Amino acid sequence: MEESRRRSRRRFLAAAGAAGAVALAGCTAEQVDEEADDRTDGGSDDGGSDDGEEGGSDEEASTLTVATYSSFIDAPSSSPGPWLAETFEEEYGIEIEWATPENGVNHYIERRNAGADIDADLFVGLNVDDLVRIDDGADDPLFEAGALADVDGLDDVQDGLWFDPRDRVVPYATNYISLVYDGTATTAPETFEGLLDADHGGALITQNPSGSTTGRAFLLHTVHRFGADDQEGSGSDVDHEDYLDYWAALQENDVRVQGSWDDAYAAWSGGEAPMVVSYSTDQVFAAAEGADLEEHQVRFLDDQAYANPEGAAVFADADEPDLAREFLSFLLSPRVQGEIAELNVQFPATTTADLAAEYDELAKEPPDPVTFTYEELQGSVDGWIDAWERQFAEN
Amino acid sequence: MNDPPSRRRPRDTGEGQPRARRIRAGAERRALVPLAVATVALLAVVFYYPVATVFVEAVVVEGAITLAVFAEILRDPFYFGEFARLLAGEDPIAVLRDLLGADRRLGIVGFTAYQAALSTVASVMLGVPAAYLLARYEFRGRRTLRSLTILPFVLPSIMVAVGFVATFGREGTLNTALAAIGLGPVELMFTLEAIIIAHAFYNAPLVARVTTAAWESVDASAIETARSLGASPFRAFRDVVAPQLYPAVLMGGALTFVFTFATFPIVLALGGFQLATVEVFVYRLVQDLNYAEAAALAIIELVISLGVLLGYLRYEARHAVRSRGARPLPRRPLFRLPAISVREVLPRVGLGIYGIIAAFVFLSPIVSMILASVIAADGSFTLEHYRFLVDRQRTGAAFQVQPWTAVRNSLVFAAGSLLIALPMGVVVAVLTTRRYRGRKLVDAIAMAPLAVSGIIVGLGLLRGLVFGVEIAGWRIVIAGSVAIVAAHAVSGYPFVVRTVAPGLEGLDRSLIESARALGASRARVLLDIELPLVWPGVVAGAAFAFAISIGEFSSTVVLATGTDAYTMPVAIERFIGRRLGPATAMGVVLLIVTSISFVVIDRLGGESFGL
Repeated sequence: MEESRRRSRRRFLAAAGAAGAVALAGCTAEQVDEEADDRTDGGSDDGGSDDGEEGGSDEEASTLTVATYSSFIDAPSSSPGPWLAETFEEEYGIEIEWATPENGVNHYIERRNAGADIDADLFVGLNVDDLVRIDDGADDPLFEAGALADVDGLDDVQDGLWFDPRDRVVPYATNYISLVYDGTATTAPETFEGLLDADHGGALITQNPSGSTTGRAFLLHTVHRFGADDQEGSGSDVDHEDYLDYWAALQENDVRVQGSWDDAYAAWSGGEAPMVVSYSTDQVFAAAEGADLEEHQVRFLDDQAYANPEGAAVFADADEPDLAREFLSFLLSPRVQGEIAELNVQFPATTTADLAAEYDELAKEPPDPVTFTYEELQGSVDGWIDAWERQFAEN
Repeated sequence: MNDPPSRRRPRDTGEGQPRARRIRAGAERRALVPLAVATVALLAVVFYYPVATVFVEAVVVEGAITLAVFAEILRDPFYFGEFARLLAGEDPIAVLRDLLGADRRLGIVGFTAYQAALSTVASVMLGVPAAYLLARYEFRGRRTLRSLTILPFVLPSIMVAVGFVATFGREGTLNTALAAIGLGPVELMFTLEAIIIAHAFYNAPLVARVTTAAWESVDASAIETARSLGASPFRAFRDVVAPQLYPAVLMGGALTFVFTFATFPIVLALGGFQLATVEVFVYRLVQDLNYAEAAALAIIELVISLGVLLGYLRYEARHAVRSRGARPLPRRPLFRLPAISVREVLPRVGLGIYGIIAAFVFLSPIVSMILASVIAADGSFTLEHYRFLVDRQRTGAAFQVQPWTAVRNSLVFAAGSLLIALPMGVVVAVLTTRRYRGRKLVDAIAMAPLAVSGIIVGLGLLRGLVFGVEIAGWRIVIAGSVAIVAAHAVSGYPFVVRTVAPGLEGLDRSLIESARALGASRARVLLDIELPLVWPGVVAGAAFAFAISIGEFSSTVVLATGTDAYTMPVAIERFIGRRLGPATAMGVVLLIVTSISFVVIDRLGGESFGL
């Protein structure tokens, strides 16, 4: 522990030294690569005249730049980032550099479309609607299709989790979005219809589907259940024409839609409403904090929960594509699968993960997980959200 | 350097001046020009160009120039409600009738303006009494309180949301207090009222601070003259004091409108999506890479905000109050009444009632946040959240956010942007108070950093600076600490302009003309005569520039990519988890650091100057 700290300290100082020069100048100039295959004079120095920003190196490959969302490496409770970096370096002798741009994968779509270099090798933390957006929005492919051939452990991934029809993204974990409720204040209904009971008026907090993963999953779950213009609902005995009709009733019953999961969970914790849309692993955190589990009950409406697998993919023009694929194999290995699940409080993607038995008791899995495929979302998801916004925010 | 202008020789006898003095005078004369050029260049690089890279998408679609995107939004009842029918060519009378009806649709834009107007009224109502208290009464801790008025300005919205749930929520302090006197409960969360109170929490301090500065600049001798001519105290207030306060109050109001018109996270956190504002949709459209519509919507937002600012600026120009130096009004002791009379007691009773309201609106959310930082999951007292900060500092990985780095960066960036924003603001204030056609338009455009959607600015900085520009085969990239300081200075300088310009406008021109006639350069007149006369405004502007930098989030995270240039609000955002402890502990650190900074700024620039 101590040793690794010193090592990371040194690495930090080295990086800071390089970055310091940049920061002081505040402005860097770098010769733009002419077409990569242009036979210019002998040695190509593509991106070699390094600006120190992402620490790319022109000596032998010794770092891998992994882009991800910030809580993957830096959350107040626990995050898998530090453990992954340390273990990967021990096993492969490769340093990991993390990049956590504020707007996630959109940052790389922007870069691609602006013709700026993609300064990372792979992205960890993609879900299916990200992928739909990327494929609609990026002028050139952001990730390499069919690039997973050399990755070990693909066969161990559960069948239901694969979500990329073009084999770019490998799932490494999954979440289920469900209701979490305070059992001392209410008993959550067992069905979607039950949420419309007057007893549950003003009792549910969910999130803005375009600003939060959980909010989006809950909205998609209602589309799955009740159907939409272009989508057959899966519920057989429902009274509602489609998801918008259900939402009209839900809004009538004072459902609260806040901006982000943070807002919603904070308001729920503050007693503003007894039910919140969140993750089915809620009790794992609650137990770790010594909270009363009765106040952290999980409910699967209609025995279902919306599954939201997370995946990783190698950027199309990664500096270190082979290393990046090795990292994907590493992510799928049984020990790493167990650690990610515990540190990021998710479910492993493979059937072979090493996971403590008590984790199973606290992290709840729905009897009937549901989700939309890439094909079902493509061309539809924007319209569903748009129509919902126009109905819900009508002023 | 300290020669009073009167001892200078007239300029036209320059022949006989010693060489050194001539050079100095020359440098002074020309000092304003390079400063103005530097200001324009900085604005162009870190604001206008980046924003333009996004705005252009609204009018250039697939290579062709078009206004179709605007037309579509303007005709969409979702955004413009009944007004959209007007634009679609319907009968204005029928539209007006429907607008007055109960089922009227304002549309998202109309609703956003409506809630901004209500928030502005609330902010003025809560801000002006504070200015009255701070400017007119003497009591222990007055100066500290004045320094701390703009504290709410720097609080991240998630912290305010936490404080508001704890204060105004179902189980909050307000309902507990109401229950104790047999009233309530009131359900404020998820209502328009909650949003308006939160907006007042943020913006009433702004109104209070600028109004206090104006009140402190009122010249006592003018009132004495009025009184000696037989005016009643009320009449003297109405005719002498009030006209000098209106511009400040209206300015506070105009800025509040602009800010609350572009409000975003707090609306969804306290009100919910049914009260969504324009900025919520700008965010969603950017998120979905629908740039044309996002840019068009943001431009419409900007036009409305600039319209309000321009309206205010025209008023400011017409109602400049000529003043000649300032000997401020003496303050009355708050607690020791000179006499028991209605005139002495009534205002103090009013202030007492105001104090109770202010305690709920301003103090309680902050106190709740402090409490949240020392309460454990089981409700007991704990310091574990602060221990988390210490541990993160000592054992956190290099790529994790560390509290001390965040504090240090925040202070360095804020000091740096203050040093840039002050001269920028003063120069623009001087340029826009000169007499020429269209100067109010220039002034309004100079205010644009206040009015452009933060989401658009962030995206523009990413495209324009972080990704870089290709010039002659080189890619020029601007990012890191210097870029952050520049971006913060650009966000903060409009406050300096707005707090300095009205004073400059109101100065008696003959003072400046006589100084110039006596040979003082323009820069020298500014430094020796004008700025000292409007000093409370300069200090208020400095405090705002500092506060804006401390609280800034969206540009910081964009420009800090790949470096460890994160600030306190970024650290707070990182530390948010299931439990609010770590984030609120960092929030308390931010409160303490900024409180000390504000007191220091006010002491350094404050009343020691002789005002």
